Amino acid sequence: MQISVTISRFNPDTDTSPRMEPWNVQVEDGARVLNVLERIHDMDPTLLFRSSCRAGQCGSCAVKMNGEPVLACTEEALDGMVIEPLDLPVIGDLMVDLVPGINDIPRIHPSECGTNPTQEDVLRIKPLRDCIECLSCVSVCPAMKVTEFLGPTSMRSQMRIALDPREPGNRIREALEQGLFTCTSCNRCWRVCPKNIETPGKAIEKLREIANREGLTLPRHQEVAELVRTTGRSVESGKHVFLDLVDEVIEPFGDVKREVGFFVGCMFNARLPERAMDMLEVMRHAGIRVIIPKDQVCCGSPLIRTGQTSIINALMEKNIRVFQDRGITTVMTMCAGCGATLKNDYETPFEVKDVSEILTETGLPPLKLLQTTATYHDPCHLMNGQQITKQPREILVQAVERFIEMPAMCCGSGGGVRSGLPDEAAALGEMRRTAIRKTGADVVVTICPFCEYHIQEHSDKPVKNLMTILVEALGEKPTELS
Amino acid sequence: MQDQEIIRSHVLVIGSGGAGVRAAIEASNAGTCVLISKTIVGKGGCTIMAEGGYNAVMSEADTISDHYADTMKGGAYLNDPELVRVLTEEAPARMNDLISWGGVFDITDTCTICQRPFGGQCFPRTCYAGDRTGHEIMATLMEQLSNSNVRIFHEISAFDLIVSQGRIVGAFGLDRKGKMYTFLADATVLASGGGTRVYDISTNSSGGNGDGYAMGWRAGAELIDMEQVQFHPTGAVYPWDARGRLVTEAVRGEGGVLKNSNGERFMSRYDPDRMELSTRDVVARACATEIQEGRGTIHGGVWLDVSHLPAKRIEERLPVMLEQFLKYGVDIRTQPMEVGPTAHHIMGGLRITPFCQTTLPGLFACGEVTGGVHGANRLGGNALADTQVFGRRAGAFAGSEPAREIQFPEDQADSAKKMLEKFLAGDASPGTVKREIQRIMWDGAGIFRSKSTLEETRAALDALSKKNLKADSPSGFNECCTVRNMIDTARLIVTGAFLRDESRGAHVRTDIVQDWDAQVSPFGHTILTRTGATIERRKS
Ligand SMILES: Cc1cc2nc3c(=O)[nH]c(=O)nc-3n(C[C@H](O)[C@H](O)[C@H](O)COP(=O)(O)OP(=O)(O)OC[C@H]3O[C@@H](n4cnc5c(N)ncnc54)[C@H](O)[C@@H]3O)c2cc1C
Ligand code: SF4
Ligand code: SF4
Repeated sequence: MQISVTISRFNPDTDTSPRMEPWNVQVEDGARVLNVLERIHDMDPTLLFRSSCRAGQCGSCAVKMNGEPVLACTEEALDGMVIEPLDLPVIGDLMVDLVPGINDIPRIHPSECGTNPTQEDVLRIKPLRDCIECLSCVSVCPAMKVTEFLGPTSMRSQMRIALDPREPGNRIREALEQGLFTCTSCNRCWRVCPKNIETPGKAIEKLREIANREGLTLPRHQEVAELVRTTGRSVESGKHVFLDLVDEVIEPFGDVKREVGFFVGCMFNARLPERAMDMLEVMRHAGIRVIIPKDQVCCGSPLIRTGQTSIINALMEKNIRVFQDRGITTVMTMCAGCGATLKNDYETPFEVKDVSEILTETGLPPLKLLQTTATYHDPCHLMNGQQITKQPREILVQAVERFIEMPAMCCGSGGGVRSGLPDEAAALGEMRRTAIRKTGADVVVTICPFCEYHIQEHSDKPVKNLMTILVEALGEKPTELS
Repeated sequence: MQDQEIIRSHVLVIGSGGAGVRAAIEASNAGTCVLISKTIVGKGGCTIMAEGGYNAVMSEADTISDHYADTMKGGAYLNDPELVRVLTEEAPARMNDLISWGGVFDITDTCTICQRPFGGQCFPRTCYAGDRTGHEIMATLMEQLSNSNVRIFHEISAFDLIVSQGRIVGAFGLDRKGKMYTFLADATVLASGGGTRVYDISTNSSGGNGDGYAMGWRAGAELIDMEQVQFHPTGAVYPWDARGRLVTEAVRGEGGVLKNSNGERFMSRYDPDRMELSTRDVVARACATEIQEGRGTIHGGVWLDVSHLPAKRIEERLPVMLEQFLKYGVDIRTQPMEVGPTAHHIMGGLRITPFCQTTLPGLFACGEVTGGVHGANRLGGNALADTQVFGRRAGAFAGSEPAREIQFPEDQADSAKKMLEKFLAGDASPGTVKREIQRIMWDGAGIFRSKSTLEETRAALDALSKKNLKADSPSGFNECCTVRNMIDTARLIVTGAFLRDESRGAHVRTDIVQDWDAQVSPFGHTILTRTGATIERRKS
């Protein structure tokens, strides 16, 4: 079959910036990206790229295909694909400098007084051991772009060391110096990992738990934990509190097409209740009955992300009970962080769906296109945490006249970074400012309250919740609480 | 020609697979050690790809003498008995080294290492880490290497050994851009791995081109049994570009069954006792025969099926296989795999003593580049043990060589440079020549051989060797050198195959009728040197 492909070419000795080179090549059915590169290499032997095992086991051949890191030897080639090097220092064309990143990874120092791992230890270590040191995760990590963070695979290795009794004691202070608390929990590293290693949840948060046991949790994070412990909420109440403003059951205007329970989350409850009110307005028009148990509490995300898990079980049990008791089978979240937590950290007897999933499944009410150019910021906990990218776009394009894509990147507000390391959060926020400017959009749309709040501080353009946009497209005025 | 660099060390190790890294770790105890590798160190070669496991006697119920007997029998008694004794005796201690360095192998609930059955063995002796055993071994070795003071040169390929007064004193290397390096050392360890990429269908990594055999042979070392090429019975056959990719023996170890297109479990006709867990030579020939006789699948393979096993077992024990096939749209929990024979391992190689000395003073060798350990057919799981046992020995004995004065080899450096520069004036594309070698070797020197196919292959290789390989710029030197090595390696295989007038182990001559069993064969090793080739005759 014939494939057209665009390859990024760059010779640091002669070029100032990469140029994109189009090729048309003949390949066999089922060809991988690597096979396409090899065909091109036959015609142009100067094309630089690496490969060795050709079986996804050596981690030599990672490249970006249409913007996403992949292993060239296992990824199926697509017609029209664009192949670029990973976002690491480029040696030439598609070849990047992997050695410094590999040398950075902490290694175990087994000691005479250690003991061999038990079967249980091995089972816990194994998922962290599959790493092929391809550095895909390192190439995408936002924290590494603005801090001295050693990176996801280094934290993966630190956790593996921590679990291994052959090296007794722990190196938690070393991990802290290497930037343990700079990780924003964006989960991008997990999503690009060819071995599907869940570094944020299985390594970074677990290391933060160890840090917590050693009394090394950041003071700001401790304050949040204290707040949850005493109030059940991670955000102090402002002037208006959503749960105090609304009835338990919100009926739609017409027929009831569907019924969902609503998990509001601390941010929408206490800091941005207007957005949740906007959502209810959309639901009324969309024919969806919303049930809002008033005794729900914080989902626990701010504690899990920062390794303070001692009261988590109580929160989880309570939240599950309040929905289960009311016979609710679908719980809707609007906050991306709560949604990811309910989906990934909880074992719920009900299904959990993001508001954008609910709306695309049930259908939007009639809308009038807003005369504006909008771009969309992917909240990490939606994109990486829940793998939802399509639905919000599908909704947005029905509400605005022009939609412009913006490359996704963490805004810096997650993982306790905004409270714990505000400089890092601001640096990442500023990177969003640049990206937003580049789009030329009039408005930035997102769903996550953390992103909205944070990006607004780093954007010349207004940042709006997707629900607010929908209210406007319904021809109504967004909620304002004085 | 660009400026060249000279790097002097006590020990030089060429190759960063299991054998090379193990050797470097050991040698660094004795003095300065330099490790060079064609790839980023730790990423190249076949060790990292090894899936199934590592053979060692780790259980009270098993014995070294059984491991020895299985290995000799599997090797059709062509193995060097002394090397097999060392392999089987030391494999457990080397596994324990890996464990003490942090290796994460599967273990039982009583904290003993898990072992699975592999073909040709009377005891489940194969230690493993899921089906990524080689990756686990490399990860462990790389951790240990980073704790050592070995000086590492990534992405430098050796292209010729340096001989001075009959002694090996180092090697010439090339970096990616074609810059030449001269590595001088009191002792050199060749650990450059195998070379079945000289065949069209192969399990080996891109670097498995036989550089070491060719360099050793050109420098004057003695090689043995190069005709003994193992064809693994189960390689992928589809899609085209994935053909040859290994489907690990662990699939059969875990209970996978082989069927032809009529749904028959055909192994009952070839080895009713051992069935799918017969030795690789037997299973590979069985598969090849089924396919040749028209009982193959559409893509020219046979079926390998594990769908009768519990899904959970497949997920736990064969995760890499599951993941690899899913990438190609086959869910092995519910669907059979399509497989066929693929060139896997070269049992022959540089002749070594139990101290890993080659026939050239100053040159040591370990791992797949050596011959004698596996005889005429390697048992699955013995190669990883080989890398650790002989890797350690090569490093230790190379390290114990005395320091010497070494002169810069002006003349050889000049002729090396001239050879490289000649590529700039060449006219034959190395890529085309390479594909040609792979095709003619598969057709003429594959699973079944005869005098006439070998003659044709030899003539075709002779013709290819006369071509003037072409490099557009110095960065193309490497590829030219690789192809030059492939031609030499292919010729060594064919010469050995000619000399061995018998079918033995992996080597099958369809034109020869014989009335002896391997154990009483009149033949010993084939011996190949630059000055001549012969086959040993055994005294009856
Ligand atoms: C897919 C696959 C699965 C396998 N599974 C098993 C198994 O389960 N159990 C088992 O026992 N055996 C297995 N084997 C066989 C076993 O893996 C190899 O025989 C063994 O690992 C070889 O180790 P080595 O160190 O000699 O060479 P390799 O691991 O191949 O390393 C060779 C090294 O030399 C370098 N090199 C090559 N040429 C040059 C040069 N010119 N200059 C510098 N460096 C050079 C390479 O870059 C590489 O670093 C398997 C083999 C394959 C291909
Ligand atoms: S979750 Fe995000 S910030 Fe944290 S290590 Fe992974 S990529 Fe980096
Ligand atoms: S953790 Fe995953 S993405 Fe990161 S280096 Fe390892 S294999 Fe690659």
